[in-house]
Amino acid sequence: MQNLADNTMQQATQSITASPLYSEDVSIWHHMSEALHQSLYRVLTLLIAVLPGILAFFVALLVFALAGMLLSWVLRRCLTWAKFDLRVARKSGTEWAPTSSPTEIVARASFWICVLLGLVIGVSAFDTSYATGAPLPISLLPYLTHAVGAALLLIAGVVVARFLARSVLISAVNAQLQYARVLSLGVKWLVLVLTAAMVLDHLQVGGNIVELAFGILFGGIVLTLALAVGLGSRDLVSRSLESHVEHTGERTHNPDEATTVSQSIRHF
Amino acid sequence: MATVNPIPDSTLAADKTAADLLVLVTAMAPEHFRGVLANLASAFSHESLIVATQNELPAGAQSSLRIVATPQSTAAWSIKPVDFLNAAQYGREHGAQAILILGPEADSLSPLALRSLADAVLRASIDLAVPHYSLPSHASLINSAILYPLTRALFASRVRFPLSIDLGMSPRMAERLAGTAERVSAANQAEALVWPVNEAVVAGFAADEVDVGSRAMPQPSDPDLNSILALVTGSLFADIEAKAALWQRPRRPPAIRRPTVEVEPGDGTADVARMVAAFQLANANLQEIWSLVLPPNSLLSLKRCSMLDPVAFRMPDGLWARIVYDFLIAYRLRTINRGHLLGALIPLYLAWVAGHINVMGAGTPAERHIEAVAAAFEADKPYLVARWRWPDRFNS
Repeated sequence: MQNLADNTMQQATQSITASPLYSEDVSIWHHMSEALHQSLYRVLTLLIAVLPGILAFFVALLVFALAGMLLSWVLRRCLTWAKFDLRVARKSGTEWAPTSSPTEIVARASFWICVLLGLVIGVSAFDTSYATGAPLPISLLPYLTHAVGAALLLIAGVVVARFLARSVLISAVNAQLQYARVLSLGVKWLVLVLTAAMVLDHLQVGGNIVELAFGILFGGIVLTLALAVGLGSRDLVSRSLESHVEHTGERTHNPDEATTVSQSIRHF
Repeated sequence: MATVNPIPDSTLAADKTAADLLVLVTAMAPEHFRGVLANLASAFSHESLIVATQNELPAGAQSSLRIVATPQSTAAWSIKPVDFLNAAQYGREHGAQAILILGPEADSLSPLALRSLADAVLRASIDLAVPHYSLPSHASLINSAILYPLTRALFASRVRFPLSIDLGMSPRMAERLAGTAERVSAANQAEALVWPVNEAVVAGFAADEVDVGSRAMPQPSDPDLNSILALVTGSLFADIEAKAALWQRPRRPPAIRRPTVEVEPGDGTADVARMVAAFQLANANLQEIWSLVLPPNSLLSLKRCSMLDPVAFRMPDGLWARIVYDFLIAYRLRTINRGHLLGALIPLYLAWVAGHINVMGAGTPAERHIEAVAAAFEADKPYLVARWRWPDRFNS
């Protein structure tokens, strides 16, 4: 009886220890845990590798921003003391047109140049730190710098487009051109399209497609403007030519009848 | 600058002698210079007068006047900074009690007019004698629309031609203007304008005008209104900006100006339709720019004006004053590029001219209308002062 009981117990124990299900469960948990640990380790390693770079980036940015603030303050005081605004106003007369005073512009420009410098140095430090600490090369940073350049191009293009559009609009209205608004819009979009093409080219997006599309669009706008002006002012050109033939020698300089001194009206 | 001496040696012997009156004759054509010399000779005694000029004596011409040569400069339609410098320098050298500057085509000024200008300084103790010309009603319209009303309202001066091309000055006025001209010249602005009346008011000197009758007014070499209006108005706006501390103080209005002889209006009807069309075109296209400068009330009034027929077209005096003030504020604040700003003013100025011609056509004397415009500028001055001090308060 005792033997029977022992045998039964032994068999039961063997059957338990030899159970295949229990053995697989332990292995999965073990592998999962190990995999998670390895992932966490890799993430932490990567973070530790990147952290000095990020720190260097922010330190460089902060240091240069502070230096920019100091430089800006010093410049503002010096230029105010030297009556820089007055001198520039005398020098440029009515040509000085920006909203802020020259001193303010110089001070702000110095601050933002320092910030930009800090940004460049920070990115450079980050790049170096990351490259040395990481096993994989990074391809995002050069693209980021291109993106900054493209953004600056875009801003400059929009400003120039707006300025030129206004110049053309006012000149065309003062020349009494009926299609002044069309002309102004045409110039604005020409510059904007040119800017967009330059931005995309700078970002290296699209390649030949962008160049081709730009050529077609630019040429299309120019052709549209030429047709609009040519067809719209056909009568004006005819009259002008007839008048020129009839009165050759009488009018030496009269590009714009509306804005020239006539015989009866003397503006000055 | 070339320093060629165009004057014969015989006249240079008297260079350093003293004289009561120094007359600086600016660059002009020989035939005009001959007329100026003749008028000066008949207006003044030869002993009391020295003429400083860069003009050559016309071939075969003899003059008993004492003439000194000044450095050469190009002819212009206005008095240039270098003319003020020369006037002060030669006046100082010769101990002159009074200095006259005569601009191009000054031969059209009578000897009596020359005498009156000199007497205002020599006898009436006026520091700045500014001529009052009798011009056709359709002449000098920028002056009538902007320069005179603004100068009168801000600097409390009744001088009808603030940018005169002939002047009578006391030595201290000449020195003051030379100082201003020197600052301008140092900034390489040889073609810049100097505003003598504003300088006299700032310095607290006595300024008055002298009736000199009719005069041929030289016109700018470039007849383009865009450049003339931008130059003259921009220069006055800049001068007003520089003297803001002075004109914001309350000032006693000037005495009533003596009545002037009305001149016959010319025929300007042909231009009115074209100028109104220019204004209507601008009203349709420049709303975006005008809305940056003008308050909604003014824009609405302009819209109403643009719907008027050319024959019935009028620019209300109050609206015109408000427009000029708003443009002056925008100039100061650099709301938009100053070149754009002054360009956007041109159609509005043409609208004022069209309205002015129609007012004259309706029988109102030109001078009366211009005085009414100037009065509107005076009445609206508090608006300018308020917006100058608190520009963010965009009045409606």
